[in-house]
Amino acid sequence: MASKENGMKDTNNVARRLALLEGVNLSTADLESIVTEIKDLERVMAELEEFGQDTPWISLQVQPAGKKA
Amino acid sequence: MAAADILELYLTDLSRLIAARELSSSEATRAALTRLELLENKLNAFITVLSEQALADAKKADEEIARGNYRGPLHGVPVTIKDMFEMAGVLTTGGSKILAEWVPETDSALVERLRAAGAVILGKTNLDEFGHGGTSTLSHFGPVHNPWDIERIAGGSSGGSAAAVAAGIGPLSYGTETGSSVRRPASYCGIVGFKPTFGIISRYGSFRGAWSQDHVGLFARSVKDIALGLDPVTGYDARDPASVRQDHSAYTSRLDTNVKGLRVGVLRRFLEGVNPAVRQAFDAALKVLASAGCEILDLDIPDIRYAAMTSMITSSAESAGNNRRWFREHYQDFVPHVSRGLAVGMTITASEYLTVQRARHRIREALRATYEKVDIIASPTTSRVAPLLSEGLKGNGDDTRHASYNQSNLLRFPSMLGLPACSLPCGMNPEGLPIGLQLVGGWFADQTVLNTALAYQSATEWHTRRPAIASV
Repeated sequence: MASKENGMKDTNNVARRLALLEGVNLSTADLESIVTEIKDLERVMAELEEFGQDTPWISLQVQPAGKKA
Repeated sequence: MAAADILELYLTDLSRLIAARELSSSEATRAALTRLELLENKLNAFITVLSEQALADAKKADEEIARGNYRGPLHGVPVTIKDMFEMAGVLTTGGSKILAEWVPETDSALVERLRAAGAVILGKTNLDEFGHGGTSTLSHFGPVHNPWDIERIAGGSSGGSAAAVAAGIGPLSYGTETGSSVRRPASYCGIVGFKPTFGIISRYGSFRGAWSQDHVGLFARSVKDIALGLDPVTGYDARDPASVRQDHSAYTSRLDTNVKGLRVGVLRRFLEGVNPAVRQAFDAALKVLASAGCEILDLDIPDIRYAAMTSMITSSAESAGNNRRWFREHYQDFVPHVSRGLAVGMTITASEYLTVQRARHRIREALRATYEKVDIIASPTTSRVAPLLSEGLKGNGDDTRHASYNQSNLLRFPSMLGLPACSLPCGMNPEGLPIGLQLVGGWFADQTVLNTALAYQSATEWHTRRPAIASV
């Protein structure tokens, strides 16, 4: 069941991204390649999110310890 | 002097002979153009050849020098530039069908400075479309072939520039780098490639790839030649928002082979999967540096395992942003692999981009701490020699999709972080193909990188090897 949910989530995420390309005349070969790349991008983003988490940078000001978000 | 002998000359020697009027710019230019015409059907290194204009410029240079108006070391020297730089009145394509007939009205900053220095521009070199690639096979004008073996790629995206210099078609070429587009082709083609610290050479008038990673770089056959080609093109330019003011921009006069006590760090964990011949050449190079007085230190920077992924997504998002309009209006005109890459970049959201910049910052901070302990990070430039054209894009073996301890991370982090980096020949594999040594310095330690590279070259002869094709 869990993997089915994950599969649905993946499909939704891919669909959400493909919607951003609406209006572009993509061939079947393009679409297949882009979907594969997008799935890879999703995985990579998850890894980088974890890696970069809590890194003090301009987009993530450091907060005092214990402060509620 | 025979044409073949002229083409053997390093820039440093050619420049001295032209200045002393022992050799004319016209002779040097004619020799380079003749070789270009002979080899172009094999290499496909050029998109535009400027024969008439180059000969006219050479004649003008000869006349100026004869009148005593010598402008400096590039005066009268035939050079080439990647077709990423705008040049007034000259076709400027970016390797793309979209601009296949575009003739700009203005010069890029690089061309302005080369003209001011009196250089003779022979032609505009072939590349991956708008710099999107690492093979120089993704060009609307066909693939560039490696002068050491024309069945192999020259590397990209500045492959035409690297192939031209390796084949003796001009002693100096200028390219661009967003990921590894100077160092990789330099390594594959057995020449020196140098990318300075971010902001040192103006990018005004060159096509935008990824604004926070784009650099201008140089190709030559020796480190001295690189410094000579660097001096006239550096300097602040308000038209490039990334341009920096420097205290020192005279690299040639500060070249020094004394590297005693210099700390050279090696990230051994990232050498997994490196081809044995490449590894052997790299280990031998470290011994040479140690003999020159460098202290070789083992380093471990685990965060670099995310460098290739971070660089690729940053580049992908920024390139998509830059090409937004063309992507919509000219999708079918892009080389297919490039258009698909842009499509993926178009789907990256702003919050994802910021997430990636946090990762990038973490890696930057790890490197900042590292450069407190070492002066240079050394590695093989690429994990293998130039792949065969028949291997396709995967032949590069550049794993940018996984966090890992492989060498592609070492190739990617310098451009992503704007660090000065050099690739120079350090060996040949059993098939006679060149192997590159990469030296990366801290921010604005460009002189240290050049000096270390020069110390290595002074003790070795790998940079004197030429491909057989360069003897025609």
